[in-house]
Amino acid sequence: MTDDGEGASGGRIDVERIGGLAGFGGPGARIRSRGTLPLSALSRADRATLDRLLGQAGPAPPMPDEFLYRITRQVGARVLSVEVAESEVPAVLRACVRDELL
Amino acid sequence: MCGHCFIVPRDVLERLSRNDSLSATVRKGMARTAKLDIELRRLRAQNHRLTRLGMRLAPVPAPAAAPPVPQVLVADCQHGTTLPGVPVPAPGKSSDATARTVFDETTALARFYAKAFGRNSIDGAGMTLASSIHYGVDYNNAFWNGVQMTYGDGDGRIFLDFSRGNDVIGHEITHGVTQHTIQLGYTNEAGGLNESLSDVFGSMFRQWQAGQDVTGADWLIGKDIMGPEATARGFTCLRDMADPAAGHCLAPQITHISQFKKGMDPHHSSGVPNLAFTTAAKALGGKSWERLGQVWYRAMTGYRPSPNMKMAAFAERTRKAGATLYPGDAAVAGALDQGWRKVGL
Ligand SMILES: [Zn+2]
Repeated sequence: MTDDGEGASGGRIDVERIGGLAGFGGPGARIRSRGTLPLSALSRADRATLDRLLGQAGPAPPMPDEFLYRITRQVGARVLSVEVAESEVPAVLRACVRDELL
Repeated sequence: MCGHCFIVPRDVLERLSRNDSLSATVRKGMARTAKLDIELRRLRAQNHRLTRLGMRLAPVPAPAAAPPVPQVLVADCQHGTTLPGVPVPAPGKSSDATARTVFDETTALARFYAKAFGRNSIDGAGMTLASSIHYGVDYNNAFWNGVQMTYGDGDGRIFLDFSRGNDVIGHEITHGVTQHTIQLGYTNEAGGLNESLSDVFGSMFRQWQAGQDVTGADWLIGKDIMGPEATARGFTCLRDMADPAAGHCLAPQITHISQFKKGMDPHHSSGVPNLAFTTAAKALGGKSWERLGQVWYRAMTGYRPSPNMKMAAFAERTRKAGATLYPGDAAVAGALDQGWRKVGL
Protein backbone atom coordinates (compact mmCIF):
# COMPACT_ATOMS: atom_id res chain seq x y z
CA MET A 1 0.00 0.00 0.00
CA THR A 2 1.35 3.42 -0.86
CA ASP A 3 0.60 6.97 0.18
CA ASP A 4 0.25 9.12 -2.92
CA GLY A 5 2.76 6.85 -4.61
CA GLU A 6 5.38 7.50 -1.92
CA GLY A 7 6.66 5.10 0.72
CA ALA A 8 4.79 6.26 3.83
CA SER A 9 6.62 4.17 6.38
CA GLY A 10 9.72 6.39 6.61
CA GLY A 11 7.95 9.74 6.45
CA ARG A 12 7.71 12.20 9.31
CA ILE A 13 5.77 15.32 10.15
CA ASP A 14 7.19 18.30 11.99
CA VAL A 15 4.67 20.63 13.57
CA GLU A 16 5.21 24.09 15.04
CA ARG A 17 2.40 26.03 16.68
CA ILE A 18 2.89 29.76 16.19
CA GLY A 19 1.13 33.03 17.02
CA GLY A 20 -1.76 33.01 19.47
CA LEU A 21 -2.26 35.76 22.05
CA ALA A 22 1.26 35.11 23.38
CA GLY A 23 2.98 35.31 19.97
CA PHE A 24 4.52 31.82 20.07
CA GLY A 25 7.55 31.27 17.86
CA GLY A 26 7.90 34.86 16.69
CA PRO A 27 11.28 36.49 16.07
CA GLY A 28 12.94 36.79 19.47
CA ALA A 29 10.04 35.05 21.24
CA ARG A 30 11.01 33.13 24.35
CA ILE A 31 8.19 30.68 23.98
CA ARG A 32 7.68 28.07 21.31
CA SER A 33 5.66 24.94 20.70
CA ARG A 34 6.88 22.06 18.55
CA GLY A 35 6.40 18.38 17.96
CA THR A 36 7.17 15.54 15.56
CA LEU A 37 5.19 12.51 14.49
CA PRO A 38 5.98 9.60 12.18
CA LEU A 39 3.66 9.67 9.18
CA SER A 40 2.56 6.19 10.19
CA ALA A 41 0.95 7.65 13.36
CA LEU A 42 -1.74 9.30 11.23
CA SER A 43 -4.96 7.57 10.30
CA ARG A 44 -5.78 7.33 6.62
CA ALA A 45 -8.35 10.05 7.03
CA ASP A 46 -5.84 12.38 8.72
CA ARG A 47 -3.26 11.64 6.01
CA ALA A 48 -5.80 12.62 3.39
CA THR A 49 -6.57 15.84 5.30
CA LEU A 50 -2.85 16.56 5.47
CA ASP A 51 -2.59 15.97 1.71
CA ARG A 52 -5.31 18.50 1.14
CA LEU A 53 -3.76 21.08 3.49
CA LEU A 54 -0.35 20.73 1.85
CA GLY A 55 -1.94 21.19 -1.57
CA GLN A 56 -3.76 24.40 -0.66
CA ALA A 57 -2.67 27.44 -2.61
CA GLY A 58 -3.54 30.10 -0.05
CA PRO A 59 -4.57 28.87 3.40
CA ALA A 60 -7.19 30.95 5.20
CA PRO A 61 -5.64 33.47 7.62
CA PRO A 62 -6.31 32.79 11.30
CA MET A 63 -8.96 34.61 13.29
CA PRO A 64 -7.50 37.08 15.84
CA ASP A 65 -5.24 35.24 18.30
CA GLU A 66 -6.04 31.86 16.77
CA PHE A 67 -2.90 29.68 16.58
CA LEU A 68 -1.30 28.93 13.23
CA TYR A 69 0.36 25.56 12.64
CA ARG A 70 3.42 25.27 10.43
CA ILE A 71 3.28 21.68 9.21
CA THR A 72 6.19 20.11 7.35
CA ARG A 73 5.94 16.64 5.81
CA GLN A 74 9.15 14.94 4.85
CA VAL A 75 9.15 11.71 2.86
CA GLY A 76 12.63 10.84 1.69
CA ALA A 77 14.07 13.94 0.05
CA ARG A 78 10.62 15.38 -0.64
CA VAL A 79 9.67 18.14 1.79
CA LEU A 80 6.36 20.00 1.75
CA SER A 81 5.36 22.72 4.20
CA VAL A 82 2.25 24.78 4.89
CA GLU A 83 0.89 27.17 7.54
CA VAL A 84 -2.75 26.67 8.48
CA ALA A 85 -5.15 27.99 11.12
CA GLU A 86 -5.70 25.76 14.14
CA SER A 87 -9.34 25.13 13.26
CA GLU A 88 -8.20 23.26 10.13
CA VAL A 89 -5.56 21.03 11.76
CA PRO A 90 -6.31 17.35 12.60
CA ALA A 91 -6.46 16.68 16.36
CA VAL A 92 -3.51 14.27 16.27
CA LEU A 93 -1.24 17.02 14.93
CA ARG A 94 -2.60 19.63 17.35
CA ALA A 95 -1.86 17.26 20.22
CA CYS A 96 1.73 16.43 19.26
CA VAL A 97 3.24 19.82 20.17
CA ARG A 98 4.69 20.77 23.53
CA ASP A 99 4.98 24.35 24.75
CA GLU A 100 8.38 25.35 26.12
CA LEU A 101 10.29 28.39 27.31
CA LEU A 102 13.59 29.24 25.62
CA MET B 1 -28.61 22.90 -9.22
CA CYS B 2 -28.07 22.91 -5.50
CA GLY B 3 -25.70 19.98 -5.81
CA HIS B 4 -23.30 22.42 -7.46
CA CYS B 5 -23.71 25.23 -4.94
CA PHE B 6 -20.76 24.06 -2.85
CA ILE B 7 -17.84 23.28 -5.09
CA VAL B 8 -14.92 21.19 -3.87
CA PRO B 9 -11.77 22.30 -5.74
CA ARG B 10 -11.00 19.97 -8.63
CA ASP B 11 -7.48 19.21 -7.43
CA VAL B 12 -8.80 18.05 -4.08
CA LEU B 13 -11.42 15.82 -5.67
CA GLU B 14 -8.87 14.37 -8.07
CA ARG B 15 -6.33 13.68 -5.36
CA LEU B 16 -8.93 12.02 -3.18
CA SER B 17 -10.33 9.97 -6.04
CA ARG B 18 -6.84 8.72 -7.00
CA ASN B 19 -5.87 7.78 -3.45
CA ASP B 20 -6.25 4.00 -3.56
CA SER B 21 -5.22 3.62 0.06
CA LEU B 22 -8.53 5.13 1.11
CA SER B 23 -11.70 3.11 1.27
CA ALA B 24 -14.76 4.43 -0.53
CA THR B 25 -16.24 5.40 2.84
CA VAL B 26 -13.15 7.35 3.87
CA ARG B 27 -12.97 9.02 0.47
CA LYS B 28 -16.57 10.12 0.86
CA GLY B 29 -15.80 11.34 4.38
CA MET B 30 -12.86 13.34 3.10
CA ALA B 31 -14.96 14.91 0.43
CA ARG B 32 -17.44 15.91 3.13
CA THR B 33 -14.61 17.35 5.24
CA ALA B 34 -13.29 19.30 2.30
CA LYS B 35 -16.74 20.71 1.73
CA LEU B 36 -17.05 21.61 5.41
CA ASP B 37 -13.68 23.37 5.36
CA ILE B 38 -14.67 25.35 2.33
CA GLU B 39 -17.92 26.27 4.01
CA LEU B 40 -16.01 27.31 7.14
CA ARG B 41 -13.89 29.66 5.03
CA ARG B 42 -17.00 30.99 3.34
CA LEU B 43 -18.62 31.45 6.74
CA ARG B 44 -15.68 33.53 7.90
CA ALA B 45 -15.74 35.65 4.78
CA GLN B 46 -19.51 35.91 5.03
CA ASN B 47 -19.22 37.01 8.65
CA HIS B 48 -17.00 39.91 7.60
CA ARG B 49 -19.29 40.79 4.69
CA LEU B 50 -22.33 40.69 7.00
CA THR B 51 -20.61 42.97 9.47
CA ARG B 52 -19.87 45.48 6.70
CA LEU B 53 -23.36 45.20 5.22
CA GLY B 54 -24.99 45.59 8.62
CA MET B 55 -23.03 48.76 9.21
CA ARG B 56 -24.06 50.18 5.84
CA LEU B 57 -27.75 49.33 6.15
CA ALA B 58 -28.29 50.21 9.78
CA PRO B 59 -25.86 52.90 10.84
CA VAL B 60 -25.32 52.82 14.56
CA PRO B 61 -27.33 55.64 16.17
CA ALA B 62 -25.51 58.33 18.10
CA PRO B 63 -24.81 56.82 21.51
CA ALA B 64 -26.67 57.99 24.59
CA ALA B 65 -24.58 59.28 27.49
CA ALA B 66 -24.46 55.86 29.16
CA PRO B 67 -25.81 52.96 27.08
CA PRO B 68 -27.17 49.93 28.95
CA VAL B 69 -24.87 46.98 29.63
CA PRO B 70 -25.52 44.13 27.16
CA GLN B 71 -26.39 40.57 28.09
CA VAL B 72 -23.35 38.52 29.12
CA LEU B 73 -23.32 34.74 28.53
CA VAL B 74 -20.75 32.14 29.58
CA ALA B 75 -20.51 28.56 28.27
CA ASP B 76 -18.29 25.72 29.48
CA CYS B 77 -16.32 23.69 26.91
CA GLN B 78 -15.56 21.15 29.64
CA HIS B 79 -12.05 20.75 28.16
CA GLY B 80 -13.34 19.92 24.71
CA THR B 81 -12.85 22.10 21.64
CA THR B 82 -16.42 22.35 20.41
CA LEU B 83 -17.78 25.87 20.64
CA PRO B 84 -19.66 27.31 22.37
CA GLY B 85 -20.00 24.45 24.90
CA VAL B 86 -22.60 24.00 27.63
CA PRO B 87 -24.30 27.20 28.88
CA VAL B 88 -23.42 28.08 32.48
CA PRO B 89 -26.65 29.08 34.26
CA ALA B 90 -26.34 32.36 36.22
CA PRO B 91 -22.56 32.57 35.60
CA GLY B 92 -22.17 35.50 38.00
CA LYS B 93 -23.19 33.19 40.86
CA SER B 94 -21.56 30.01 39.57
CA SER B 95 -19.50 27.75 41.82
CA ASP B 96 -16.92 27.80 39.00
CA ALA B 97 -14.51 30.67 39.73
CA THR B 98 -13.56 31.01 36.04
CA ALA B 99 -17.22 31.43 35.04
CA ARG B 100 -17.69 34.10 37.72
CA THR B 101 -14.53 35.95 36.69
CA VAL B 102 -15.39 35.93 32.99
CA PHE B 103 -18.94 37.10 33.72
CA ASP B 104 -17.81 39.86 36.10
CA GLU B 105 -14.93 41.13 33.96
CA THR B 106 -16.91 40.99 30.71
CA THR B 107 -19.70 42.95 32.40
CA ALA B 108 -17.14 45.44 33.73
CA LEU B 109 -15.62 45.79 30.26
CA ALA B 110 -19.04 46.51 28.76
CA ARG B 111 -19.43 49.25 31.43
CA PHE B 112 -16.00 50.61 30.54
CA TYR B 113 -16.91 50.90 26.85
CA ALA B 114 -20.29 52.43 27.79
CA LYS B 115 -19.04 54.95 30.35
CA ALA B 116 -15.73 55.95 28.82
CA PHE B 117 -16.71 55.86 25.13
CA GLY B 118 -20.52 55.78 25.02
CA ARG B 119 -20.40 52.43 23.22
CA ASN B 120 -23.12 49.81 23.61
CA SER B 121 -21.28 46.47 23.35
CA ILE B 122 -19.11 45.08 20.55
CA ASP B 123 -21.32 46.15 17.65
CA GLY B 124 -22.50 49.41 19.21
CA ALA B 125 -26.04 48.03 19.24
CA GLY B 126 -26.17 45.88 22.35
CA MET B 127 -24.79 42.61 20.95
CA THR B 128 -24.80 39.80 23.52
CA LEU B 129 -21.29 39.15 24.81
CA ALA B 130 -20.70 35.40 24.64
CA SER B 131 -17.63 33.68 26.08
CA SER B 132 -16.52 30.06 26.33
CA ILE B 133 -14.27 28.86 29.14
CA HIS B 134 -12.26 25.68 29.89
CA TYR B 135 -11.46 25.33 26.18
CA GLY B 136 -9.24 22.32 25.46
CA VAL B 137 -6.77 20.71 27.85
CA ASP B 138 -3.97 22.82 29.36
CA TYR B 139 -4.70 25.24 26.54
CA ASN B 140 -2.29 28.20 26.47
CA ASN B 141 -4.38 30.69 24.54
CA ALA B 142 -7.45 32.90 24.31
CA PHE B 143 -9.00 34.05 21.03
CA TRP B 144 -11.85 35.82 19.24
CA ASN B 145 -13.41 33.69 16.49
CA GLY B 146 -15.52 36.34 14.82
CA VAL B 147 -18.56 35.94 17.04
CA GLN B 148 -17.38 35.15 20.59
CA MET B 149 -14.49 35.04 23.07
CA THR B 150 -12.78 31.78 24.12
CA TYR B 151 -10.44 31.19 27.05
CA GLY B 152 -8.10 28.29 27.83
CA ASP B 153 -7.15 27.25 31.37
CA GLY B 154 -3.40 27.49 30.72
CA ASP B 155 -1.09 24.58 31.51
CA GLY B 156 -0.46 25.76 35.08
CA ARG B 157 3.30 25.95 34.52
CA ILE B 158 3.98 28.56 31.80
CA PHE B 159 0.52 30.11 31.94
CA LEU B 160 -2.35 30.34 34.39
CA ASP B 161 -6.04 30.55 33.43
CA PHE B 162 -6.17 33.13 30.62
CA SER B 163 -9.34 34.68 32.05
CA ARG B 164 -7.35 35.89 35.08
CA GLY B 165 -6.10 38.82 33.03
CA ASN B 166 -8.58 41.69 32.79
CA ASP B 167 -6.35 43.04 30.01
CA VAL B 168 -6.68 39.68 28.23
CA ILE B 169 -10.47 39.88 28.41
CA GLY B 170 -10.33 43.49 27.21
CA HIS B 171 -7.97 42.45 24.41
CA GLU B 172 -10.24 39.71 23.09
CA ILE B 173 -13.45 41.74 23.24
CA THR B 174 -11.73 44.64 21.49
CA HIS B 175 -11.00 42.31 18.54
CA GLY B 176 -14.78 42.18 18.22
CA VAL B 177 -15.08 45.98 18.37
CA THR B 178 -12.39 46.26 15.67
CA GLN B 179 -14.28 43.79 13.49
CA HIS B 180 -17.42 45.92 13.78
CA THR B 181 -15.73 49.29 13.24
CA ILE B 182 -12.41 49.89 11.46
CA GLN B 183 -12.40 46.23 10.27
CA LEU B 184 -8.65 45.87 10.13
CA GLY B 185 -7.33 42.68 8.56
CA TYR B 186 -4.99 40.34 10.40
CA THR B 187 -1.89 40.41 8.23
CA ASN B 188 0.92 42.88 7.60
CA GLU B 189 0.62 46.43 8.97
CA ALA B 190 -3.17 46.23 9.39
CA GLY B 191 -2.70 43.08 11.48
CA GLY B 192 -0.21 44.89 13.73
CA LEU B 193 -2.68 47.75 14.17
CA ASN B 194 -5.47 45.26 14.90
CA GLU B 195 -3.37 43.62 17.62
CA SER B 196 -2.32 46.98 19.02
CA LEU B 197 -5.89 48.26 19.35
CA SER B 198 -6.65 45.17 21.46
CA ASP B 199 -3.60 45.78 23.67
CA VAL B 200 -4.36 49.52 23.98
CA PHE B 201 -8.00 49.07 24.99
CA GLY B 202 -7.17 46.03 27.14
CA SER B 203 -4.58 48.08 29.03
CA MET B 204 -6.87 51.10 29.34
CA PHE B 205 -9.56 48.83 30.81
CA ARG B 206 -7.04 47.53 33.34
CA GLN B 207 -6.10 51.12 34.27
CA TRP B 208 -9.76 52.20 34.45
CA GLN B 209 -10.58 49.36 36.84
CA ALA B 210 -7.64 50.24 39.06
CA GLY B 211 -8.31 53.99 38.84
CA GLN B 212 -4.72 54.53 37.64
CA ASP B 213 -3.25 57.47 35.80
CA VAL B 214 -0.52 56.97 33.19
CA THR B 215 2.25 56.99 35.78
CA GLY B 216 0.60 54.31 37.93
CA ALA B 217 -0.16 52.00 34.97
CA ASP B 218 2.05 48.96 34.45
CA TRP B 219 1.50 48.95 30.64
CA LEU B 220 2.03 45.18 30.70
CA ILE B 221 -0.07 42.72 28.71
CA GLY B 222 -0.63 39.32 30.29
CA LYS B 223 0.97 40.04 33.69
CA ASP B 224 -1.75 38.13 35.57
CA ILE B 225 -1.58 34.97 33.46
CA MET B 226 2.13 34.26 33.79
CA GLY B 227 2.68 30.83 35.37
CA PRO B 228 5.35 29.78 37.89
CA GLU B 229 7.89 28.56 35.31
CA ALA B 230 7.66 31.81 33.38
CA THR B 231 7.96 34.04 36.42
CA ALA B 232 10.85 31.93 37.78
CA ARG B 233 12.68 32.70 34.53
CA GLY B 234 12.10 36.44 34.94
CA PHE B 235 9.29 36.83 32.41
CA THR B 236 6.72 39.25 33.80
CA CYS B 237 4.39 39.62 30.80
CA LEU B 238 3.65 38.72 27.22
CA ARG B 239 4.29 42.27 26.05
CA ASP B 240 5.34 45.56 27.61
CA MET B 241 3.66 48.45 25.78
CA ALA B 242 6.08 50.97 27.29
CA ASP B 243 9.19 48.91 26.44
CA PRO B 244 8.20 46.44 23.70
CA ALA B 245 11.68 44.96 23.14
CA ALA B 246 12.40 44.34 26.85
CA GLY B 247 13.91 41.06 28.03
CA HIS B 248 11.16 40.52 30.58
CA CYS B 249 8.65 40.04 27.76
CA LEU B 250 7.84 36.50 26.65
CA ALA B 251 7.49 37.81 23.10
CA PRO B 252 9.57 40.99 22.60
CA GLN B 253 8.42 43.25 19.77
CA ILE B 254 9.72 45.73 17.24
CA THR B 255 9.80 49.37 18.37
CA HIS B 256 10.24 51.30 15.10
CA ILE B 257 8.47 51.20 11.75
CA SER B 258 11.82 50.67 9.99
CA GLN B 259 11.95 47.20 11.59
CA PHE B 260 8.65 46.12 10.08
CA LYS B 261 8.76 43.30 7.54
CA LYS B 262 5.91 42.01 5.40
CA GLY B 263 4.41 38.80 6.75
CA MET B 264 5.40 39.57 10.35
CA ASP B 265 3.17 38.09 13.09
CA PRO B 266 0.79 40.90 14.16
CA HIS B 267 1.75 40.21 17.80
CA HIS B 268 5.30 41.20 16.84
CA SER B 269 4.59 44.31 14.77
CA SER B 270 2.03 45.72 17.23
CA GLY B 271 4.97 46.96 19.30
CA VAL B 272 5.17 50.03 17.02
CA PRO B 273 1.67 51.48 17.64
CA ASN B 274 1.75 50.22 21.25
CA LEU B 275 4.87 52.28 21.94
CA ALA B 276 3.41 55.29 20.11
CA PHE B 277 0.27 55.17 22.27
CA THR B 278 2.17 54.71 25.52
CA THR B 279 4.65 57.48 24.73
CA ALA B 280 1.83 59.86 23.82
CA ALA B 281 -0.16 58.88 26.93
CA LYS B 282 2.80 59.59 29.19
CA ALA B 283 3.45 62.91 27.45
CA LEU B 284 -0.16 63.97 27.92
CA GLY B 285 -0.47 62.70 31.51
CA GLY B 286 -3.66 62.03 33.46
CA LYS B 287 -5.87 59.04 32.80
CA SER B 288 -5.22 57.38 29.46
CA TRP B 289 -8.87 56.89 28.51
CA GLU B 290 -9.89 60.48 29.18
CA ARG B 291 -8.20 62.22 26.26
CA LEU B 292 -5.76 60.02 24.33
CA GLY B 293 -8.14 57.06 24.59
CA GLN B 294 -10.88 59.22 23.07
CA VAL B 295 -8.60 60.04 20.15
CA TRP B 296 -7.77 56.34 19.61
CA TYR B 297 -11.45 55.40 19.92
CA ARG B 298 -12.42 57.96 17.30
CA ALA B 299 -9.64 56.74 14.99
CA MET B 300 -10.97 53.20 15.42
CA THR B 301 -14.70 53.92 15.11
CA GLY B 302 -15.21 57.31 13.49
CA TYR B 303 -14.15 56.70 9.89
CA ARG B 304 -14.75 54.28 7.04
CA PRO B 305 -13.63 50.64 7.49
CA SER B 306 -9.99 50.26 6.44
CA PRO B 307 -9.08 46.55 6.22
CA ASN B 308 -5.61 47.14 4.72
CA MET B 309 -4.64 50.24 6.63
CA LYS B 310 -0.95 51.01 7.08
CA MET B 311 0.48 52.33 10.31
CA ALA B 312 1.35 55.74 8.83
CA ALA B 313 -2.28 56.18 7.74
CA PHE B 314 -3.51 55.25 11.22
CA ALA B 315 -1.07 57.75 12.76
CA GLU B 316 -2.45 60.42 10.43
CA ARG B 317 -5.98 59.44 11.40
CA THR B 318 -5.23 59.88 15.11
CA ARG B 319 -3.81 63.35 14.36
CA LYS B 320 -7.00 64.21 12.48
CA ALA B 321 -9.18 62.77 15.26
CA GLY B 322 -7.17 64.67 17.88
CA ALA B 323 -7.64 67.96 16.02
CA THR B 324 -11.39 67.30 15.68
CA LEU B 325 -11.94 66.30 19.30
CA TYR B 326 -9.58 68.81 20.91
CA PRO B 327 -9.23 71.73 18.49
CA GLY B 328 -6.45 74.08 19.47
CA ASP B 329 -5.26 71.80 22.27
CA ALA B 330 -1.50 71.93 21.80
CA ALA B 331 -0.93 69.33 24.52
CA VAL B 332 -2.90 66.66 22.62
CA ALA B 333 -1.31 67.49 19.28
CA GLY B 334 2.15 67.58 20.86
CA ALA B 335 1.67 64.26 22.65
CA LEU B 336 0.48 62.58 19.46
CA ASP B 337 3.47 63.93 17.61
CA GLN B 338 5.85 62.75 20.29
CA GLY B 339 4.31 59.28 20.30
CA TRP B 340 4.39 58.70 16.56
CA ARG B 341 7.81 60.30 16.08
CA LYS B 342 9.28 57.89 18.61
CA VAL B 343 8.40 55.00 16.29
CA GLY B 344 9.31 56.79 13.05
CA LEU B 345 5.82 57.85 11.95
ZN1 LIG C 1 -5.12 39.62 19.74
